[in-house]
Amino acid sequence: MSAAQQGHGPWSGVRVLDLTGLSGAYGTRVWAALGADVICVEPPGGNPIRSMPPLAPGHDGPEASLWWAYYAASKRSVVLDPTDAADAASLVKLIASADVVLDDAMPATQQAYPWLADAGEGGLGVAGIVERFPHLTWVSITPFGMTGPRRHWRSSNLIAWASCGLASTVGFPHGPPLAPAGEIGVLMHGASLHAVIGSMMSVRARNQAAAAGEPALGQTIDLSLQEVGLWLSPETGVPLYLDDQVPRPRAGNRRPVTSPMGMYPASDGYVAIIAIQPAHWNAMAQWVHELTGNEGILDEIFIDIVVRREALEAVDAWVEELTTRFTKQELFVEGQRRRIPITPVNTVGDLRHDPHLEAVGWWRPEEHPVLGTYTVPGSPFTTDGDWWAWQRAPMLGEHTDEVLSRASLGITL
Amino acid sequence: MMASADRRPLSGIRVFEISIAVAAPCCGKAMAHHGAEVFKVEAHSYPDVARAFGSAWARDAELADVFCDTGPYVPEMSAGKRSVGLELKQPEALEAAMRLLATCDVFLTNFAAPGIAELGLDYESVKQVRPDIIYAGMTGFGVDPDKPYYPFRAFGPNQAPLVGWDALTGFPHEEPAGIPSIAPPDYMGGLHTMLAIVTALHERDRTGEGRFLDISQLETTVSFLGPYLVGQGLGVPEPFRNGNRVSWAAPAGIYPCAGDDRWVAVEVPDDEAWQALAGLAEWSDVPAHDASGQAALSTYPHGTLADRIEHHDAIDTELADWTSRRSPQQAAAELQALGIAAYEVLNHTGVLSDPQVHDRRPYSIAPSPRLGRDLFVRNPVRMSDTPPYVARAGPNMGGDTVDVLTEIGYADDDVDQMVADGTAFVDARPDVVLERPFDRWYESVGIAEFYDAEGNITGGNQ
Repeated sequence: MSAAQQGHGPWSGVRVLDLTGLSGAYGTRVWAALGADVICVEPPGGNPIRSMPPLAPGHDGPEASLWWAYYAASKRSVVLDPTDAADAASLVKLIASADVVLDDAMPATQQAYPWLADAGEGGLGVAGIVERFPHLTWVSITPFGMTGPRRHWRSSNLIAWASCGLASTVGFPHGPPLAPAGEIGVLMHGASLHAVIGSMMSVRARNQAAAAGEPALGQTIDLSLQEVGLWLSPETGVPLYLDDQVPRPRAGNRRPVTSPMGMYPASDGYVAIIAIQPAHWNAMAQWVHELTGNEGILDEIFIDIVVRREALEAVDAWVEELTTRFTKQELFVEGQRRRIPITPVNTVGDLRHDPHLEAVGWWRPEEHPVLGTYTVPGSPFTTDGDWWAWQRAPMLGEHTDEVLSRASLGITL
Repeated sequence: MMASADRRPLSGIRVFEISIAVAAPCCGKAMAHHGAEVFKVEAHSYPDVARAFGSAWARDAELADVFCDTGPYVPEMSAGKRSVGLELKQPEALEAAMRLLATCDVFLTNFAAPGIAELGLDYESVKQVRPDIIYAGMTGFGVDPDKPYYPFRAFGPNQAPLVGWDALTGFPHEEPAGIPSIAPPDYMGGLHTMLAIVTALHERDRTGEGRFLDISQLETTVSFLGPYLVGQGLGVPEPFRNGNRVSWAAPAGIYPCAGDDRWVAVEVPDDEAWQALAGLAEWSDVPAHDASGQAALSTYPHGTLADRIEHHDAIDTELADWTSRRSPQQAAAELQALGIAAYEVLNHTGVLSDPQVHDRRPYSIAPSPRLGRDLFVRNPVRMSDTPPYVARAGPNMGGDTVDVLTEIGYADDDVDQMVADGTAFVDARPDVVLERPFDRWYESVGIAEFYDAEGNITGGNQ
């Protein structure tokens, strides 16, 4: 049973139809674990996420993807075939029973369900559906928005980073621009959070209107990946650039603003150091001095960040004499003890064994009928309430019968 | 717009924000866009870095006292908020803060947990004046003093390396490139916090009770690595930075175009799009670049995803040759026509002239007390009936102190006395209204909607 069926969690009683892929999955995962009844409506071949690697070793088929295992947690799965008239009718019933529909595949979804086509093309359009079911919020997550000359252009996490100006600033000066964190899909996760926050806002506005005796307030939400990118990167955005007219070229993993600032080698990888404030520099210089006997680094002249910028190579070399002697975790712990902002450049393997995450009891076991038992990350934040209800991801079509048997009868468009 | 007609979802919600830099401010700004009244409580003795940065053109002895209102991060992070100047280390100021808090629904901070406790604004203290407060504390490493990283300092740009994002940014044969110039973890922390606050408000509607929300940046941002963390326990190889490639589509990358530092991002989503690309007549003249003499664009039109990943280097060489004979816009348009995801890698000037940006206007221009009017990014959640907006750009530092203290019951004399004592402060020389150097371009730049002080769109620019 899903969390929502148990009536648990702050969003219990709210039903969400999830027609999204990667640009919705993270946010709806969080919402489902907070009690919303999130129903993934999948085609017979399954949501595309089900085929995304990495796959669980020794498995293939619709349950094998670890993306699905993670991102579909606490959701239910209903399989509907758009080419089947009865299934298409079932989708309408589900929409009638839902508070929110999230979709990220326009115009393909419109082609699959002709009644979704725009009003000018023989359908009701998304706005028409919301008019027909005025309790409903329909969120369309699209590459460039529902309007504009490029509304039908395709995108991806990489393309979205390119289209918002941010990728141009990531990377080394001699190389091409880069997507931050590669295939992790940070921008897609950001879009999914915006989509779910917007949905929650719309449900709230609807409930308030109802409480005030006002007419039903359903609405559509138009969320563009490009604009999500613009929202989360003011550092590289137009207002900053217009204000200072300073281009922000790729500068690699150190910022030539002063030293130490950026990535430095450890004995087993890298650490990131930011020593701008005098106190941070003094602590760093003292540490280098204690370890290497370097007297010059204690000279007061180096407290000035501009002097350290002019002597960048020398200061960097002194700092590296220290950093290369320790592991990144040793540098993290001792540096923080000395009040220097140092962090390890962690890998996924490092994080899986991070002592703090272990100590807070973050990890939990999960059992899956196909994949067996494995360890999954805990909740993204905590509260003093009993909010979270995590369940394994649903198998393909696992909840089709139980959901459809309860769907409102007799509702058609 | 009359307050009573404001149907936005957070209309009537009051937020007490004490914050620095990005993580909490971007959350408060988004709440203001949805109708909340957000009080940014700030102090000269520990100013927000957005105040300290100021603007390069305002670095002038004559403007020293108003410099804190000029930085472009002020509207980017605090548009729509009211600024209340209170030096909270002084008892009278803390008392005023508590009186304000008694009228608020939400407490929002990203000060370190020990620091906020020192100020006397820990959850227990706040709860005493407002029992149903929704208290959102954004910390680096949680609020339990017994846990290993509790005393450590989280510092915006150091977050991405810590949570695994930096090591995954770059090419496999090079050092990690990292993302030192930007701070997506802060924005993601802000979004998680907003989700948590809206959830707590939803719950409070039913229960009447408040909540303590512990948003530790480490957990929120490590959560994005989920599939790979699960894989670690199952014997899946650890992921390694792989440029712009992905495991589920190929080719994918950023390719050079004609001109200096011009690039196009390309991702071929499926076999159908690949076949359209490989079927272009151009390839018949291109020699194969693969050492094996096969499997590049010119000779391998029907490859599977696995084949394309295996021969990615050779495909890249040929595709780069093709893109480098085109402008980024031309390459992207031709590729999109084939069903391939592609876009120019925009820099600042590219965003300024982007056709989609011009059509949809993702920026706002709204009245500003210090700058007449000011420019900042809009909230991307475009709701049809209750669209998010704010009717004011960044507040002057302390610009709303007198109004807010008066609203919560302070007599005029008391307010004057607090300002004279330095326990509260107001904005410097409110009659000094500056103009950004690019202000005169607003009408022609075509990327923003113009809002008036009532929140109405006044037509935008041409």
